Amino acid sequence: MADDSLYPDLGEIGTEETESAYVYKEHAMKKTRTEKDSELTRRRFLSASLALGAASFVKPGVLWAENAPKVDLPFERGRRPLVAFPQKRPLMVMTTRPPQLETPFHLFDENIFTPNDAFFVRWHLANIPSQIDMNTFRLKIRGRVTQPLSLNLAELKRDFEQVEVAAVCQCGGNSRGFFDPRVPGGQWGNGAMGNAKWTGVRLRDLLAKAGLNDDGLQVRFDGLDQPIADGTPDFRKSLNLEDAVQETVVVAHSMNGEPLPWLNGFPLRLVVPGWFATYWVKMLNDIEVLNKHDQQFWMAKAYRLPADPCACVQPGEKIVRSVPIGKMTVRSFITNVQDSGTVVGGTPLTVKGIAFDQGYGIDRVLFSVDGGRQWQAASLGQDYGDFSFRPWEVQFTPVSGRTYMLQSLAVNRIGEPQRFSARWNPSGYLRNVVETVHIHAT
Amino acid sequence: MRRNGNIIKRSVGWFSVFLCVGLFMLGVFMVGQPSGAQSMEASDTLSVPADPISFQQGPGSAIASSYCLICHSAEYIYTQPPHSHERWTEIIKKMKHTFGCPIPDEHISPLAEYLVSQNTIQPIPEAKKFTGLAHIPTRESGSPEKGKAIYNTYCLNCHGQTGKGDGPIGQALIPPAADLTATGNKSDTILLNTIRNGRPGTAMPSWKSDLSKQEMEDILAYIRNLTKS
Repeated sequence: MADDSLYPDLGEIGTEETESAYVYKEHAMKKTRTEKDSELTRRRFLSASLALGAASFVKPGVLWAENAPKVDLPFERGRRPLVAFPQKRPLMVMTTRPPQLETPFHLFDENIFTPNDAFFVRWHLANIPSQIDMNTFRLKIRGRVTQPLSLNLAELKRDFEQVEVAAVCQCGGNSRGFFDPRVPGGQWGNGAMGNAKWTGVRLRDLLAKAGLNDDGLQVRFDGLDQPIADGTPDFRKSLNLEDAVQETVVVAHSMNGEPLPWLNGFPLRLVVPGWFATYWVKMLNDIEVLNKHDQQFWMAKAYRLPADPCACVQPGEKIVRSVPIGKMTVRSFITNVQDSGTVVGGTPLTVKGIAFDQGYGIDRVLFSVDGGRQWQAASLGQDYGDFSFRPWEVQFTPVSGRTYMLQSLAVNRIGEPQRFSARWNPSGYLRNVVETVHIHAT
Repeated sequence: MRRNGNIIKRSVGWFSVFLCVGLFMLGVFMVGQPSGAQSMEASDTLSVPADPISFQQGPGSAIASSYCLICHSAEYIYTQPPHSHERWTEIIKKMKHTFGCPIPDEHISPLAEYLVSQNTIQPIPEAKKFTGLAHIPTRESGSPEKGKAIYNTYCLNCHGQTGKGDGPIGQALIPPAADLTATGNKSDTILLNTIRNGRPGTAMPSWKSDLSKQEMEDILAYIRNLTKS
């Protein structure tokens, strides 16, 4: 992180690591408090809203105390233990089964490309193969095609052009925990997102090899994960053919130059840049071209938005007409200044952050220190592609004794800004309100 | 400065193709890890940590343990915001009718009551050390003949002679013992995992301290035969 002094002093943090086991050391701050004290202090500390969500005080590679490997998200029942799952560093556990792991937020400051072992994890069904025989694994392309294909990983790498795309993968319900009033569902902070370089083959090259029939309408994707209960619908997602054949849609075998981690969809996952992660089917082994609209549960009933431009309703109101969730909204975050933090007055401060949208690319990021009354332009950092996180930074000199409400506002290349008031919908999707970070200058 | 496109073409060297095919022939496929500390082979089994918390004891907790834990860990409940009795009832009905939770209707209201009673607490998982990767050595396929003998000792009382869950005590259980002849669509991994670790929310216990890994493979081989017949 850029400036450690921006983070509250929480005492010493353990740094032990043995060969493959993570060893937690007791954390000094929390063990001295009773549970009740801790709760109250925590609430007070967080009450200024911790808009950045994942208020982790853990640095990468620093492994946590046995009794205190936890993060407290700033909403009710927001406590999340930090646990290292296979191939992962300690991440915030929302649920163990199925695995749903959130990336501690400070990691977005340290990496424009989220490390594989820090990338968030979200499975719907708990029956995930824990063993994949790569000798027998095949990706099938079938349905309304002239020549069904069955490909192993070597053929996929050998027979098709290998391409790479930098893209943000974000859960549709990222930041759901901040909805007010609260809604049911996975209670994420802001860390159910990540940015990676995905390598694989274009979906359209696979479809072209198989040969599309004239009546193809949608393409359905299925992975190796299976339901536990017999009555649970298998997790499958579909894209309209015109979206599926975009050049950027990739069947990826690698992420940031390494094979996909098991929990991120080893050995293959669909990458649909600009679209919410629900379409990025993991452990992909079946691609089926349909000649009608997919009516199964995960398209027709789940992941639906109110069918109006706002994708919102009044709190408590039911959705009358709905559409499937689709592309992402424009968002930005301040990453190096933590909410409720303290900074040194009279010293120039560089505020850093990230912005992204659905692939138009970020045109500008505006920055405010007074809760949105006055804005100044931030400078955009390196452009890694229209679907990637775009870094930005801005300088300001805080005055001693004053309190600031820092905000960032991203606008994409078609002029769409973030929202100034949070939208509400009953499933907690598409949050993209301007977030606020409160700081005090000493 | 704007880039021309978002796709970067990458050429594949013949060496890497050769190497890749070579690795397949060896039956070894590595999942790389930036640190190089962990890798996965085709024969390895990965597993997530066991459920770290259970439901707090109280009226209705047995129902929650029996049904909610079939599909997800208790954390899903304990990370929810407080919901009203009506909202919890809606959620339980969705679990039943949309996701196939086998909860009988008469348990829905008591379960909603229990979940309301849990609204304001968040049990903290006990501290545990998790290793980054669970390694289980290569499998040896089981013998159905040996499996039958072991099955008759350990499984028959509940799952019955035919495997349909009609053993002497199988039908008295809530939920009843599983019909093993209907497990054809379940992977080896999931069945072995159930034998090894039990199934939360049911009477199926963990057999890991009673049976060796090979004995579990033998039982699996026998169960696969039951499925066929």
